[in-house]
Amino acid sequence: MTGKPKIALYWCSSCGGCEESVIDLAEDLLTVTAAVDIVFWPVALDFKYKDVVAMNDGEITATLINGAIRMGEQEHMAKMLRKKSRLVIAHGSCAHLGGVVGLANFYRREDLLSRLYQEVPTINNPQGILPQLETIESGRKVKLPDFHDTVKTLDQVVEVDYTIPGCPPTPELIKEAMMMVLEDRLPPRGSVLAEKKALCDTCPRRDSKPDKLRITEFKRVYETEWDPEKCFLAEGIICLGPATRGGCNARCINANMPCRGCFGPTDDVRDQGAKSSSFLASIIDVTDKEALKKIVDAIPDPGGLFYRYGLASSILKGKMTRGRS
Amino acid sequence: MKGFEPKIIGFLCNWCSYEGADAAGRARKAYPANLRVLRVMCSGRVDPQFILEAFKEGADGVMILGCHPGDCHYKEGNLQTLKRYYVLKRVLSTLGIEEDRLRLDWISAGEGDKFVQVVSEMTERMRQLGPLPR
Amino acid sequence: MAERIGVYVCECGPNIKDAMDLDEVVTFVQGLENVVLTKAFGLLCAQEGQELIGKDIKEHDLTRVVIAACSPKEHEKTFRQCLEKAGLNPFLLQIANIREQCAWVVKDKSLATDKAKAIIHAAVRRVAYHEPLEVKEIACQPHALVVGAGMAGISAALTLAQKNRKVYLVEKLPCIGGKVACYEDVFPSLECASCILDPILDEVLHNEHIEILTLTEVQEVLGFYGNFLVKVTKKARFVDTETCIGCGACLETCPVTVKNEYNEGLDERKAIYIPYAGALPNVAAIDKKHCLRWQGEACSACREACPFGSITYEDTDQVRQLRVGAIVLATGFDLFDPARAPQYGYGKVEDVYTSLEFERLVNSTGPTQGKIVLRNGQVPEKIALVHCVGSRSGKFHEYCSTVCCMYLLKFAHQVTRQLSGVSILGFYSDLCLPGKEAQGFFNKISQEGNIQWLHMKEPDSIEITQADGKTLIRFTDVHGSPREVTSDMVVLAPAMEGARDAGAMAQIFDISQGAGEGFFAEENSQIAPVSTAIEGIFIAGCAQGPKDIQSSVAQGQAAAGRILSRLVPGEKLALEPVTAEVDEDLCCGCKLCVGLCSYKAITCDNLKNNVAINKVLCRGCGTCAAACPSGAIKAHHFTDTEVSEEIRGLLRQG
Repeated sequence: MTGKPKIALYWCSSCGGCEESVIDLAEDLLTVTAAVDIVFWPVALDFKYKDVVAMNDGEITATLINGAIRMGEQEHMAKMLRKKSRLVIAHGSCAHLGGVVGLANFYRREDLLSRLYQEVPTINNPQGILPQLETIESGRKVKLPDFHDTVKTLDQVVEVDYTIPGCPPTPELIKEAMMMVLEDRLPPRGSVLAEKKALCDTCPRRDSKPDKLRITEFKRVYETEWDPEKCFLAEGIICLGPATRGGCNARCINANMPCRGCFGPTDDVRDQGAKSSSFLASIIDVTDKEALKKIVDAIPDPGGLFYRYGLASSILKGKMTRGRS
Repeated sequence: MKGFEPKIIGFLCNWCSYEGADAAGRARKAYPANLRVLRVMCSGRVDPQFILEAFKEGADGVMILGCHPGDCHYKEGNLQTLKRYYVLKRVLSTLGIEEDRLRLDWISAGEGDKFVQVVSEMTERMRQLGPLPR
Repeated sequence: MAERIGVYVCECGPNIKDAMDLDEVVTFVQGLENVVLTKAFGLLCAQEGQELIGKDIKEHDLTRVVIAACSPKEHEKTFRQCLEKAGLNPFLLQIANIREQCAWVVKDKSLATDKAKAIIHAAVRRVAYHEPLEVKEIACQPHALVVGAGMAGISAALTLAQKNRKVYLVEKLPCIGGKVACYEDVFPSLECASCILDPILDEVLHNEHIEILTLTEVQEVLGFYGNFLVKVTKKARFVDTETCIGCGACLETCPVTVKNEYNEGLDERKAIYIPYAGALPNVAAIDKKHCLRWQGEACSACREACPFGSITYEDTDQVRQLRVGAIVLATGFDLFDPARAPQYGYGKVEDVYTSLEFERLVNSTGPTQGKIVLRNGQVPEKIALVHCVGSRSGKFHEYCSTVCCMYLLKFAHQVTRQLSGVSILGFYSDLCLPGKEAQGFFNKISQEGNIQWLHMKEPDSIEITQADGKTLIRFTDVHGSPREVTSDMVVLAPAMEGARDAGAMAQIFDISQGAGEGFFAEENSQIAPVSTAIEGIFIAGCAQGPKDIQSSVAQGQAAAGRILSRLVPGEKLALEPVTAEVDEDLCCGCKLCVGLCSYKAITCDNLKNNVAINKVLCRGCGTCAAACPSGAIKAHHFTDTEVSEEIRGLLRQG
């Protein structure tokens, strides 16, 4: 043992992009790894589960968990790592908000399983078998993790000390979070380690935003040619920047794409989707019912648009159906 | 669904609709006890977050009642509500909340009768729809 | 939260007591978090009830109070005062309306009991999060703004100034006096207009309390009665009003000639001009649109000609913020454009004039120095006066403009006085001669000249064309027979309409206009004829509807009277304490709220990149807070937390 702080990284329901974002630290990764002992990182290094279980409670200085919680095994690992760690840091949109995988909460568990294992054209499952918790394979009992009714955010399963937001987080934010841990200069517990204000504050197109935004038509990006210097909303393109925490270096805006909301809401907003729907409604410059309906009906997939990342952490946490847990 | 009594939250603006509800009371006009009123200064204060919270906390239906267009005490707060209502309804449908579970209507201070009618209709409709699944 | 909440349930005699199981309600409330005291009482609004609450607040150290009783509309103020007397901030109170919205409308006792429990539960949960709010006061602003320096505006300004009120008299033209200043005589006295007007204008010009802002237009109005903030733009005159004496030396040398709108386009003026001889203030002005200097030429003829060095090309438009307590809109009228009704031949038949054109023609300071002549310079032998042009028919305006019969009689008098032997044709379908003077005036004028009255079937049963150098008038008489006469000159009496820019004014001042005719809408045409729906904004004169000079003066004075009686210097205005506030640390400057505020209370500081809400202007509707995508706007007394707690209280069982 070197006496250096111990760090663990784990992934749950995620795409792997957050793991990539750690690699994106590039040379800085060496600085970080030199300062710490990585004790668990299944995606990159060969550590054993039993070795982590054998550690003392609180022995790990900080564990970064990315991905949402859908499977029993994920919940189990999150709880085990929580016990072993002084700090648990939710890493990325899925752990923070449920993320894109959280969109599954628009569907019921049974519908997802039957769709995936019985209905999609590419499946070959003539007996219509669905995944079981236990099965006998070659005479041996095999256990599978259970599939929960809904997708949960990490903080709905274990206590989370800090959050690094983003899909994925920027390497800068990850490095800064690590340095905060190492240099013991962490903000109040529960903080999201990014900007306090919404994206508009640091948006490069900020100055082109008119004092009074008024639009009569929502346009999709492929439907229009827009001025790459001008505020998206002023051009009628839906941008969730006003309802999304800043700190992403305006990556999407700089790539000439509107904000999709991956950093989640600011501290005082409980439902990013509801707020997004509210602010967008406000800038519609029509109150005639027919015209209003026409404009509003043109918003593509409002559920998916406003809750692309935040469905599992929203007030309703998903579609209202019987028997949710 | 017999015997089911829905819970309904009503956001009423201070100047018109809340007065209308009081007017119904002063006239001793009975209406279903299912409605629970929350007074706001203007229907424009009704943040869509409040509506989602009401559904989360057990409401089977939510009503927003404001001044008639053109009569808003704050000039145009009710028109902002109208716009939000249309957008939110589309969001709610993706969240499995039937369209009729959110109702926007205009009730003036003198329309005690209309208030009673709207509350009765809403209650009856919620009885038909049954409890919001959770 | 460690609040100490006292809950009082009013029995309201039998009103609440008999409608529900009050014991059950009280037992339920006693079990709620933070509630340290629960009492049912016979009639809380009575003196003993109020005293009980006051005493309890002190004895039990209550930090919050819930009153479950009648509607807050009935006694919220009473109980707030009660808290205040006991040393508790009045906003730490919540009323649970269990009478109007429960006891009186729920007939089943057990359902009423449940509903009352939910209502009180919500109030208890909410009140724990109430913040103390302060009612701030500001001094009311006794100054007034009068827009339009015609008869009505001047009357209002002088009446206000008599009580030493500072008056800003804003006029978009370079001179004051309005339309009346362009008339030669006024009916029914037939006095000369300037004899009546000039002493009044002189009083206005020299009144120390009246600040005249000519060439000035209102851009924006913020605020409310007692505290308006008005942004005006004073256009550059390019002539120093202090030193110019109106000698006219500059006019002679100016090389640019344009149509003179102050003589209704009947003659020409220079690019530097005095609107008409005798215009007050008697100071020249440069018309930037036509002056060569602004067309890129290096002309300075007027400056060279001016013996007083009064020409100031360096002048710029000035924006001023005026703080006033009340506003009088006296923006006057314009005439219906008779070209919209081609049957009158206006604009096509040479010697067809509108009444305002004829006023200039007959005026000694007008284009012909008051000589009534045709466009070819000849003296007319026959003059037709046509009533009700664009009025009293379904086609344009349904209303009667009330003054046209009278001024056409005045014209008949002026014509007869100047041209002996002239014959006058009066085309009318009805005559409007109400009041104590009009019929006598008609009788007098009818006798003095050669007037032939031609009674038409309808107000618009007439067609005017040009034929063989003569003006041909075809009309249908009252019996339905077609008839035909010729005339040398035709004077039309077009309907009066609200001023052309009244629509823009209505928007700026946020008041309503009648459909089509452009007059401002009064609060109540019978009992509040000079008030508008916006408190503190008054209307007077022809801006409100067609009327004569005496009625305009009366309205101007009435509006001033309304202001003097309520806007008393030294009085304080209580500001709305329930307002919205921006957390600068959270506001990202997205500006979405700015356009939502009906009171323009939200402004954006582009340097600091956040918005601020003006506490004086905010009325507390909360629309901005509901829209703020960052949760940076807090609606006091209706905060997110307070509302959420109320929702929980209404829906959760205990």
